[in-house]
Amino acid sequence: MATIAAAIVADSPRRVTEEGPWVRGLLLTLALGFMGLFLWLPVSLVFTEALRKGVEFYLAAITEPDALTAIRLTLLASAIAVPLNLIFGLAAAWAIARFDFPGKGLLITLIDLPFAISPVIAGLIYVLMFGAQGWFGSWLAGHDIKIIFAVPGIVLATIFVTFPFVARELIPLMQAQGKDEEEAAILLGAGGWQMFWRVTLPNIRWGLLYGVILCTARGLGEFGAVSVVSGHIRGLTNTLPLHVEILYNEYNGVAAFACASLLTLLALVMLAAKTFVQWRIDHPGNRL
Amino acid sequence: MSIEIHSLWKRFGNFTALAGIDLEVPAGQLVALLGPSGCGKTTLLRIIAGLETADSGSILFHGEDATRRHARERGVGFVFQHYALFQHMSVFENVAFGLRVMSRKIRPKEEEIRQRVFSLLEMVQLDWLAERYPSQLSGGQRQRIALARALAVQPKVLLLDEPFGALDTQVRKELRSWLRRLHDELHVTSVLVTHDQEEALEVADRIVVMNKGRIEQIGSPDEVYDNPATPFVYQFLGNVNRFQGYAVQGWAEFGGLRQPVLEHGGDTAIEVLGYARPHEIDVKRDDQQGLVATVAHVRTLGPITRIELVFEGGRIQMELTRERYQADPLQVGETVRIRPRRLQVFPAEQAAETATGAAG
Repeated sequence: MATIAAAIVADSPRRVTEEGPWVRGLLLTLALGFMGLFLWLPVSLVFTEALRKGVEFYLAAITEPDALTAIRLTLLASAIAVPLNLIFGLAAAWAIARFDFPGKGLLITLIDLPFAISPVIAGLIYVLMFGAQGWFGSWLAGHDIKIIFAVPGIVLATIFVTFPFVARELIPLMQAQGKDEEEAAILLGAGGWQMFWRVTLPNIRWGLLYGVILCTARGLGEFGAVSVVSGHIRGLTNTLPLHVEILYNEYNGVAAFACASLLTLLALVMLAAKTFVQWRIDHPGNRL
Repeated sequence: MSIEIHSLWKRFGNFTALAGIDLEVPAGQLVALLGPSGCGKTTLLRIIAGLETADSGSILFHGEDATRRHARERGVGFVFQHYALFQHMSVFENVAFGLRVMSRKIRPKEEEIRQRVFSLLEMVQLDWLAERYPSQLSGGQRQRIALARALAVQPKVLLLDEPFGALDTQVRKELRSWLRRLHDELHVTSVLVTHDQEEALEVADRIVVMNKGRIEQIGSPDEVYDNPATPFVYQFLGNVNRFQGYAVQGWAEFGGLRQPVLEHGGDTAIEVLGYARPHEIDVKRDDQQGLVATVAHVRTLGPITRIELVFEGGRIQMELTRERYQADPLQVGETVRIRPRRLQVFPAEQAAETATGAAG
């Protein structure tokens, strides 16, 4: 009995949900090993490959005219898609969180549609609608409007795939906050805009920013949907991800990796921003 | 400013929240809307505030029709159960909000806003918290700030929706008497929603007892407690014992108890229910009259001794002052006769209409 008691005392207190050192070690190794193999190794490979022929070649690869056009187009598509999704996301979240209306459940489901549909299908939808043989094809041709194999198509595809992010982020947030504060503002004499700018927006700003960051990250990296509608016209309708593919298919591996490294860097910046915003959401007490 | 409400109806789908409410709140009074959850009291308050619209009926502020007036223009102060303070604003900015959103023509100057906010914060005794944020305050402090914020725009009517519902018992009692003192100073017409009968009895000038979207009784705290108009009011306000019996030829009978009932002089017997408060019951050892009952429990709670007795029709609770009980203590298991000093009789049908309120 005495020895058992001593053993219990000597053993550091362990929570019931904690496993033994063996299990812990195994799980940690598994998780870290998996991450190393599938995340760190490829990411570092991107940068090593990109710099294999030296810094000069790297800079040349990312500053050649086609690459610059691709960068510009990628940024342009996101610059249009993100604000539009911001407005749509806000409106949808507001409608869903604040009002009851028939078809509310359907709207919530539809917002998630881009998550469920393969991006390639999304691209095809636009081709079927606006392409030369599409529903509106002849009308668009008659009015000399080009959507497919042109910039508008790329923007549309980007909007489609980034559609759910802002709304998805805001709906649970606004539902949880309820409308008490907004009602209080109105009863204190605030107008609709005053209520929005002074009460609603400050309350959801970090969630909104989080949604915008996710939206931007997705928009910058989108390949499938954009690939279908772009037509891969070099220097005209190539986004950065498409440009990487073309370079790679031309056996220009180093240049492909150089451009890929740019996308990776953008992704890392987005990740840092996301982490910061997440931290702000979790620690609302710390004021800037 | 007085509030008048005429035949107000409100339905949510199949649920009738308000079924023809008529109510008058005289200027300067504090009126409590009292009732169980789902009785429509909060809906009524929100309709007065303009946060909901009634299906039909009208609301008059100071004799003027305000039924269609927007919540923004009604000039009401509203205090929410969960405070609804603006989380991202300091206490000072919360209280200043109503002044800052005024149109430029009538908005006070910065210095005047400062003065008014601080005088309000002093009134709620929290001027030292001006720079804090709502998340750094206790529940009681938050609700006092919410009240200061509501008063900042000098509302003509103050509406309070279960303002102390989310607070601890001790804090709730303090705030209750504080609110009453504040009302005595300001005399702003106030409507308070509560499900807590003690709160209503302590704070209000008049109590409006509501049940299932209807008003059961309106009266002073003493009136509704001493002379409940319906079985529901009896059961909802305070503890009460219920006796089953029948009435015929002007007399109601409950076991060994007899009482004249003038309303029922007919020859056919009807079922009736008698209601008596625990403190309105006397115990007799040697009486031939009254119900035979056995003492089941005796418990002293502070100044009051509560005795539970069993008789053939159920259980009875009675309350005596500690001194009176100790002068003549009862033994558990002892058989005695009990007699209510006052027994109010209602036809059983009328009682059946009311919601389930625990008897005793």
